[in-house]
Amino acid sequence: MKGNPLRRVFPHAVLAIYIGISLFPLVWVLNSSFKTNKEIIASPWSLPQELLVANYWNAWTGTHISQYFMNSLFISVVSAAVTLTLGTATSYALTRMKFARLSKVIGRVLLLALIVPVGSLLIPLLLLLRDLQLYNTPLALILPYITMGLPLTVFMVSAMMKSIPSELEEAGIMDGLSIYGILWRVIVPLAGPPLVPVFMLDFLSNWNEFMMANLFLTKEKFRTLPVSMVAFYDQLNMNYGSLCAAIMFSLIPVVLIYLIVQKRIIASVKA
Amino acid sequence: MNKIGKNPWAYAIFTIPTLVLISVFFLYPLMMSLRYGFTQWNGIMPARFNGLTNFVTAFQDKYFWIAVRNNITFICFSIGVQIPVIVCLALLVSKVRRGKSVYKTMIFLPTILSTAVVGVIWSFIYHPQAGLLNQVLATIGLAAWQHVWLAEASTAMLSILVTNAWQWIGFYVVLVISAIYTIPKTILEAAEIDGAGGFRQTWWITLPLLRPIIVVMMLLSMIGAMKALDIVFVMTGGNPYGITEVMATYMYKKAYRIGEYGFANSIALLILLFTGILTAVFGLLTDKQEEVRY
Repeated sequence: MKGNPLRRVFPHAVLAIYIGISLFPLVWVLNSSFKTNKEIIASPWSLPQELLVANYWNAWTGTHISQYFMNSLFISVVSAAVTLTLGTATSYALTRMKFARLSKVIGRVLLLALIVPVGSLLIPLLLLLRDLQLYNTPLALILPYITMGLPLTVFMVSAMMKSIPSELEEAGIMDGLSIYGILWRVIVPLAGPPLVPVFMLDFLSNWNEFMMANLFLTKEKFRTLPVSMVAFYDQLNMNYGSLCAAIMFSLIPVVLIYLIVQKRIIASVKA
Repeated sequence: MNKIGKNPWAYAIFTIPTLVLISVFFLYPLMMSLRYGFTQWNGIMPARFNGLTNFVTAFQDKYFWIAVRNNITFICFSIGVQIPVIVCLALLVSKVRRGKSVYKTMIFLPTILSTAVVGVIWSFIYHPQAGLLNQVLATIGLAAWQHVWLAEASTAMLSILVTNAWQWIGFYVVLVISAIYTIPKTILEAAEIDGAGGFRQTWWITLPLLRPIIVVMMLLSMIGAMKALDIVFVMTGGNPYGITEVMATYMYKKAYRIGEYGFANSIALLILLFTGILTAVFGLLTDKQEEVRY
């Protein structure tokens, strides 16, 4: 390419404009979270006259946001951890063990679960949870989250396992390891770093899930963060500053996690 | 190795928990949905088999067709507006030499947010008084363009589509960028030797080579559009007057607001059926094109 400065600057200019438009809503919410109602309505551009931390205090104390935060954290971490554990074991069985026909059938069922939209299962799931007396307990989310997370986890982990040379397993056998020992001591450490983004992706999708959380856990003390945001929008509708502060509470952890592991998350999308 | 790989107990221990969960929380609800779709049932009294009545009722319902139309609008918007934007952005990012990863990180960011939170943020943006959009229009002297975005029939659906695009564009941009990287450099170098400039290289070489990933994106967009539920649920709940209803929110309403569980399940089946048909037709069409090309 020739050193045409226009050609070099053009992509940057367009991308900068797009990113500006794309991130402006978030910046605007952040900015508004420090403003009074009056300031918010007076002008969208103005910076806050004084940093009104009261909005954050109102959002934190006036609502049970800390509790919702912990609910979300507990449910998302437990579900993602179990999903990863079961998913890894299943992937090992499907890719490394010699029951090819059975593995194929299991793979098909998992593929089906990947294709069928969860939305169309909401009603029967609700009825099932009611019959199992799980409705309105944390398990009403944890068990479906694990189930819905398994297909993608198994596909991603299986893809990784296929690339592990079988000599390593043979070496493990020489050392007298059982099959469980091989999975735990040989395969998992090898697959370790790539398993992190699988866990993070599953965690984020649990953390962000809304429809099931809204339907299966209606008790306020179990409420998750996304559900509480929608409730705040109605509840704090006349108190825009506090609404923005509440939104920030739900945004900050996700954005932080993302910025820390973004390379791995982006890389796993490509895979 | 052979002996250990054939251990049926280990195989069972590794797969049975997964299979139990999938059977109980996926296959069983799927079967229930299939069964109750052909019944009249309010969720409490015993279900009564009524054959295809639910489907006939749906096809005669004006609001069902509004929902179908909105799913189609969703698909058209994704394919007609989102995908061109995505491809352009991905090409631009792949062209820049510095700051590539910063751009990728920033463009991808909205994708990781909860759809519910995205819906709340954008509902606030569209807010008639305090909302960013109307305020910006007022400041730049376009007060006449102000709307009660989510409550007016003419703007509500478009507002939702823009929000959805804002959230998902980044995900696909990353997908396309990685596809661009797989194009062998030698092809582009050969073109450059033949005298093709940057734009011509992109138009005649990169874009045609991106065809497979564009096909995949179209497919994912279609499936995603048929699934659309929470964004509409959070932003408008299908209002005003059912004008922004999509099939999934329509199903939801039938099930929870009116208690027509059987009917709602038949809508769920129709979503599955329509998605299947779309996917199959799309698969056939793209296969055919492939044959013509080679």
